[in-house]
Amino acid sequence: MAEWICRTLRDGGLEGEHAPALIIKDTIRCPLSSFVFDHVLSQLSSFILSNKSQSKGIVLVALSRSPLYYQQFLKSKGYDVVDSPCWIKALDCYSDPLGWKSKLVESGSILNRDPGSSFTSSLCKNVRDLDNLFSSIIEIGKELAGDGKGRFVVAIDSVSEMLRHTTVSSVAALLSNLRSHDQVCCLFWLLHSDLHETRATAALEYMSSMQASVEPMALPANGQIGNSMNLSLMEQNYRRGKFCVRVKRRNGRVRMMFEELCVEISGVKFAPVSSEDNVISQSLVPKVQFNLQLSEKELNDRAKVVLPFEHQDNGKTTQIYDGRKSLNEDETEIHEKVNSSGKGEIIYFRDSDDEMPDSDEDPDDDLDI
Amino acid sequence: VKIYIHMAAIRPRSSSFSRSTSAASNAVPGLKHGPNGTMFLSSGIPDLDKILGGGFTLGSLVMVMEDPEAPHHMLLLRNFMSQGLVHHQPLIYASPAKDPRGFLGTLPSVMVSKDDKSRAHESEKEKGLRIAWQYKKYFGEQNSDSQRDGKSEYCCDFDLRKPLERHFFTGKHIDCITLKDSADLTTFHDRCSSFLSQTPRTDGNVIGGRIAIQSLCSPQCEFSDKEWDMLSFVRSLKSLVRLSNSVAIITFPPSLVSPAFSKRLQHLADTLVSVKAIPDEDKELAKLLTGYQDMVGLLSMHKVARINTQVPAILEATTFSMKLHKRRSLTLECLNQAPVHGSSGTSYGTSGSCSSSSKTGTLDF
Repeated sequence: MAEWICRTLRDGGLEGEHAPALIIKDTIRCPLSSFVFDHVLSQLSSFILSNKSQSKGIVLVALSRSPLYYQQFLKSKGYDVVDSPCWIKALDCYSDPLGWKSKLVESGSILNRDPGSSFTSSLCKNVRDLDNLFSSIIEIGKELAGDGKGRFVVAIDSVSEMLRHTTVSSVAALLSNLRSHDQVCCLFWLLHSDLHETRATAALEYMSSMQASVEPMALPANGQIGNSMNLSLMEQNYRRGKFCVRVKRRNGRVRMMFEELCVEISGVKFAPVSSEDNVISQSLVPKVQFNLQLSEKELNDRAKVVLPFEHQDNGKTTQIYDGRKSLNEDETEIHEKVNSSGKGEIIYFRDSDDEMPDSDEDPDDDLDI
Repeated sequence: VKIYIHMAAIRPRSSSFSRSTSAASNAVPGLKHGPNGTMFLSSGIPDLDKILGGGFTLGSLVMVMEDPEAPHHMLLLRNFMSQGLVHHQPLIYASPAKDPRGFLGTLPSVMVSKDDKSRAHESEKEKGLRIAWQYKKYFGEQNSDSQRDGKSEYCCDFDLRKPLERHFFTGKHIDCITLKDSADLTTFHDRCSSFLSQTPRTDGNVIGGRIAIQSLCSPQCEFSDKEWDMLSFVRSLKSLVRLSNSVAIITFPPSLVSPAFSKRLQHLADTLVSVKAIPDEDKELAKLLTGYQDMVGLLSMHKVARINTQVPAILEATTFSMKLHKRRSLTLECLNQAPVHGSSGTSYGTSGSCSSSSKTGTLDF
């Protein structure tokens, strides 16, 4: 499933469509989304470097982790970002997001010791100005992809950081602008959903076309953290999780996929779901209030019902229940009369259980309309 | 019990107390007389018009609750707008996109009837009596026959695969507005107000007007967190629309606004519809619903506009499946489902709906 997502991102959107956008979310109970982010980044890098993708580069907006981290991460994966030709650039919003450091440098209080690198294309000094950020992203992207038809990928780590500084509507506007830009092939971002109000998370999910969430495999019982079993469960949640993906398809249907996620030293591993924990899809369809099937007990009870006029073959005088409460009194007289008359009889055969009402044959089939 | 019906005598009735106005007196092709002195304009979807009892009432406000995971509200808007353009009714379209005029390129064109021979009703008028067990199935087919001739149909069948011809877009009566960079809704409100004054509720030349607002509470718009402003805009629009001969349709995603606000918006609507996505490749749902393969989503009717009357509209069914017939035209069908064990289910609740799935028939006297 993770491979499928990466391939979908690599392929981009069709002509005239918005670019596919992936939101990776997690909560504190299983905070493994940054590993997923790194995984997607490395997958897309490999597609670009092996020329399997139509996009020519990646613009990485680094807000919560330093560009140096990414440099080292990509190096560990075998992608050299410093010396080899340019296919990835980072917009550094981590070192000095609000411009405080540069103000201090200007006033001479501190020395600027940052050598900079070719990987870090520019330093963003004001993450609050998202219009500026948008133009910087597009500028860097055009450098990487060339003007014209070249496309690039945008990765934002993390939108939760952005929301610290700006409003939801401006972040949503930024994402929407990126998605509708012709040269953006695809877009993915990270969000820690429990840090924000549900409306903010809902708004960001609205802007995405695929949602990947990392959920804990096992929840601690009763929230008692002190329990040693719960501790080990919680520890497990820091290494393994459930990876749930919801994809909005073009025809309006929603595809849901599940995998198991496991973090190892070499990176993240995805495996198909092992347990029989299938999702019970919420019933969207209104439940019909009548029940045509009978349970076992009901079948038995039905067989035991005493029907009037039925010959019960047990030698005793038949009991005819005529609706009155007193069943046992004063009935023998009546029965004798019925038995002795001999002329008129009521012969009653119960409907057989095999006959289904409204069988499959449609009585209208012989109509010739 | 079998019912014997003489086929030639069937004439569908909308209500027992309808005026006996014949179709010939209706000079304007895009409008139709409805009960209680109201007029209808078509939604562009024949099945939806039938469910609503004729179409959208002039002077009503229609709200569509979107599902953030599916674009079905766009289908409804497209058909609505196309129908208006085909009938040369003035139109305003507003959306949070940068270039809303681009949306006009996705509007469907009228289905050419020669493609549709397979659906045509063969009119072999036999004189004898015939037995019809499920007689309701045959009502609609008689109707569609009479409407298939002539270009001036009240409700057209639209082909979603073919875009609308360009000549329908030229005209001063189409206005496309973007809500993207507006800080608030005052300018848009003024545009709507001047638009609606073109179609006042006076006797004489009645032309229906259409306002289509897509994704009102979309998070990209600056005013999306000013809930009271949006609410007062909708309320004001509703009162303006009521005094005019137009229909306004607004779609909004209820999950993106606070529940109280969503409730208030729903109460403001005269006609309330919600659309829902269905999961893909869901085996359980495939077993439960017939025709699951063709379905793209579900549509629920929560409220139907009733103007000039105190009698509510009670629908036979409130949930419909949206299907694309041959990927071209949108059809709405009542859900055909296998009965579910009743004791385990609670009735289906959508936000703001009081509908259960009990089949209450229309009150027929």
